[in-house]
Amino acid sequence: MNVHQMSTEPALMSLTSVAKAIAQKRLSSREATQSCLDRIAQWQPRLNAFMAIEAEQALAAADAADAAQAKGKVTGALHGVPLAHKDMYYDAGKVVTCGSKIRRDYVATTTSTALQRLKDAGTVRLGSLQMAEFAYGPTGHNSHYGAVHNPWAFDHITGGSSSGSGAAVAARLTFAALGSDTGGSIRMPAHFCGVTGLKTTVGRISRAGAMPLSQSLDTVGPLARSAQDCALLLALMAGADPEDTTAVAGPVPDYTAAAQQSIKGLTVGVPTAFYVDDLDAEVARILDETIAVLKREGAHVVQVELPDQRQLTAACQLVLATEAAAFHKRWLIERPQDYGPQVLMRLQNGLAIPGVLYLEAMRWRGPALSAHLAAVAGVDAVIAPVAPVAAPTIAESDVGNSPDAEAVIQRLTRFTRPINYLGLPSLSIPAGFTANGLPVGMQLIGRSFDEAMLLRIGAAFQRATDFHDRVPELP
Amino acid sequence: MTRPTPKEIKAIADVAGVPVDTDVATRIANSIGPAFEGFAPVAGTLPFDLEPATFLLVQAAKNNEKTAK
Repeated sequence: MNVHQMSTEPALMSLTSVAKAIAQKRLSSREATQSCLDRIAQWQPRLNAFMAIEAEQALAAADAADAAQAKGKVTGALHGVPLAHKDMYYDAGKVVTCGSKIRRDYVATTTSTALQRLKDAGTVRLGSLQMAEFAYGPTGHNSHYGAVHNPWAFDHITGGSSSGSGAAVAARLTFAALGSDTGGSIRMPAHFCGVTGLKTTVGRISRAGAMPLSQSLDTVGPLARSAQDCALLLALMAGADPEDTTAVAGPVPDYTAAAQQSIKGLTVGVPTAFYVDDLDAEVARILDETIAVLKREGAHVVQVELPDQRQLTAACQLVLATEAAAFHKRWLIERPQDYGPQVLMRLQNGLAIPGVLYLEAMRWRGPALSAHLAAVAGVDAVIAPVAPVAAPTIAESDVGNSPDAEAVIQRLTRFTRPINYLGLPSLSIPAGFTANGLPVGMQLIGRSFDEAMLLRIGAAFQRATDFHDRVPELP
Repeated sequence: MTRPTPKEIKAIADVAGVPVDTDVATRIANSIGPAFEGFAPVAGTLPFDLEPATFLLVQAAKNNEKTAK
């Protein structure tokens, strides 16, 4: 691995740095875009991270951005910056597969609000990124388009469902990428691939034009190379949207300013149970080391006793399975043969949940959030592992629709699902590496709509460490 | 509350309009059973005047802030 902070290869720059370099005319959009395309050509055969690569269109868009800038017309904060996103964000006129056979040729007729806001900021489209079928899988396997491979070890998983986003950002094929997180789908690939991923509060970013999986749990968020880059993206996307009434109104905090603040005097809580139980020894070591860094940076670290997280996990599964089955019911009737075996199995799970039980799980959400907030009343954020293990191999986690598939999935996602049920924000940050070179992430869990605090702590941690700057290399 | 049996799942799936065979029903029972058991301490205990929208009220509440060190 290498630390490339001062590299001359544009694709290795951070989102914040490349946007600034283009704005100051130290770098053209074509140079940045060509650099990404060069790396995509090298890495894609090994990673399978992209669903579609649109090289000619990207270079044409980059040239147009450069020409506009030469005339003094700068579109926004990301003028000329090339990006690619999880292939579930509708972009009018473009195929959006949602990682599925069913939508292999589906052409979007609208553009998602989150994507449109990034386009309005001046971004250039590189193509689209691989994902789990219909965003319903935590490993990165996809029976239609093949598994995405981890840039740090090709025979290991990326995590999912934002598998291509995690791999492409880690390998520096795109400066950042949109993911989505319904049960851990941003944080898992961020953890397994060694990048920074922000699961936003339910209601923070509009979901209009993003493929639905569970209307109560779905969240839009970025995977990027740093908390600072996530702050920049969140600031551009957050806020009310007439196309999605669940997106909250009100002022959007200054996330980039928050990410520059010290954490001296803040209090970070470490759970006394559940998130620290049955951890792989290396994950436990890295949690301890992360806590030590936070202390060195001036944070107080205290223990917090959280309510029973197993009940939250169960409630999350009841809500997710029911809502996903409802979205897919027509295709479950008409095209069951066109789903991959595992996704079909998991969608069928939702058929077995009585309506009253689903509604009880929804009714309990308020009291459960209230109990959590009471438990964390004395801390600014909670820190916990994203998963109990680093990335398993693609082979060992290829459980398909076997009898123990759901158990394997639940084990991998047991630290992420409670947060989805509570609708809270969580920032996954690269926090270390195992002895065999696999990244390990930690999640900072905050209060509703307090992404600024997580970005502040995450950025401070990244100013004190270099895990987020490490770049995998081709053998 | 106990986990549903494959027989019960077959009946529920039939009513939902998406019939499943016995093998699939058995697999569903194994997959979703732990969620039923995990939620059992909550199911049937919630107070009468509690709506799903309470979640949004808690999310937006003023006490959704750090209160003490």
